[in-house]
Amino acid sequence: MNQLSIWEWRAVCPDRPFLGRAARALASAVLAASLAMSGTALAQNAAPATDATTAAPPAAAAPANAAPTTSAAPAGTGAAAAAPGGPAAPAAEAPAEGAPPADTRGLDEEVQGLKKDVVDLNRDLFVLEEELLFPANTQVAVFLSMDVGDFFALDSVQLKIDQKEVINYLYTPREVEALLRGGVHRLYLGNLKVGKHELVAFFSGKGPNDRDYKRGASLSFEKGIGAKYLELKINDRQRKQQPEFEIKDWE
Amino acid sequence: MSSQRPNEPVLHRVCLRWRWVSVTAALLAFVAGISVAAAQPTYVLIGHEAPDFALHAVSGSNVRLSEHRGDVVVLSFWSSRCSSCRAQLASLDKSLATYRSAGLQMYGINVDDDQTRAIESARGGQTVTFALLLDPQKTVSRRYEVDNLPMTLLIDRNGIVRYVLRDYSAKSEDLYLQQLRTLLNE
Repeated sequence: MNQLSIWEWRAVCPDRPFLGRAARALASAVLAASLAMSGTALAQNAAPATDATTAAPPAAAAPANAAPTTSAAPAGTGAAAAAPGGPAAPAAEAPAEGAPPADTRGLDEEVQGLKKDVVDLNRDLFVLEEELLFPANTQVAVFLSMDVGDFFALDSVQLKIDQKEVINYLYTPREVEALLRGGVHRLYLGNLKVGKHELVAFFSGKGPNDRDYKRGASLSFEKGIGAKYLELKINDRQRKQQPEFEIKDWE
Repeated sequence: MSSQRPNEPVLHRVCLRWRWVSVTAALLAFVAGISVAAAQPTYVLIGHEAPDFALHAVSGSNVRLSEHRGDVVVLSFWSSRCSSCRAQLASLDKSLATYRSAGLQMYGINVDDDQTRAIESARGGQTVTFALLLDPQKTVSRRYEVDNLPMTLLIDRNGIVRYVLRDYSAKSEDLYLQQLRTLLNE
């Protein structure tokens, strides 16, 4: 008796139909869960791909071995369906195209007004954020400006305050061009407590004769009550044919 | 096979065993299905703004991503030790030659620790027309959560990460071209 295999027992087991149904239901649930989870993971890539394929011409998308009758039939029905709708559609749209300007003008003005409100609100929020994050009592701002730039092509600036690196900024050609046109870049904005501090700036780039050039400049300053503004200035020293780096304290 | 039917207590015991085997098998299948589904990697930056960065180029000037808003940008993270990366860079270069005029920008971001090796690789073996950027500190690759090489990101004209390709094959190349065309047509 007991020598019967499990499959033979399965055949004689009275609740076999129940177990079969339960196993099938569980397997279906497993499959559905797996498909759902993998579907969400792949949807990001798959969805645009399907968009692209649907955007492709139907002739190109149709498989080469598809029966000609099946591809011809929808094309025929599509053409037949489009034929009656074709002349009717422009007739229905013609008055609609003429009517909107009067109605949409008001809507356009409303949209423009809303956009202006959004820009104003964004500006106010930006100012409020800066006031909260960098209160005037502790605020320190470091700016960078450049004059002429014949002897130095700026590449990057590393800034240290009290021996701690606060920023390492790479300049792109567009940014350098803007600086050479008289622009001033706010390099760093942070908070410092009242007292003595030291700022060290390292300038990297290409110096005279297109050589790699790295120079430093430092400034000890006293932070009092109120915002502190410092400026890193890069100038050309014509007499020495060298660039000059200085840090200016805006009192 | 025996045609003799077993007695009732034995039948009951064996049916219980059969039920236990069925339930265990179903549970194992469920766990396996869940783990297979969980193994599918998702990329968190899809649909989000691409993190801005500025990097040194192997040759040429520094590059800042935010300056290319309005263009479709392709970023390919690669390493000189990765053989499929080279094939992919060559393939990307071809697509750049085709679609550059449509507003396509392309950058290869090298993640090698050794910059000299990357530079040698870029100047010697790799002859691509787009800029190869250096990320030896891997700050940019960490921000972009690079978990495979080569890894290619497609960023739309609004600076949103739209697609990611985590490998290189003929199939993925077709998919890449489809996705690229979609972004360029927007």
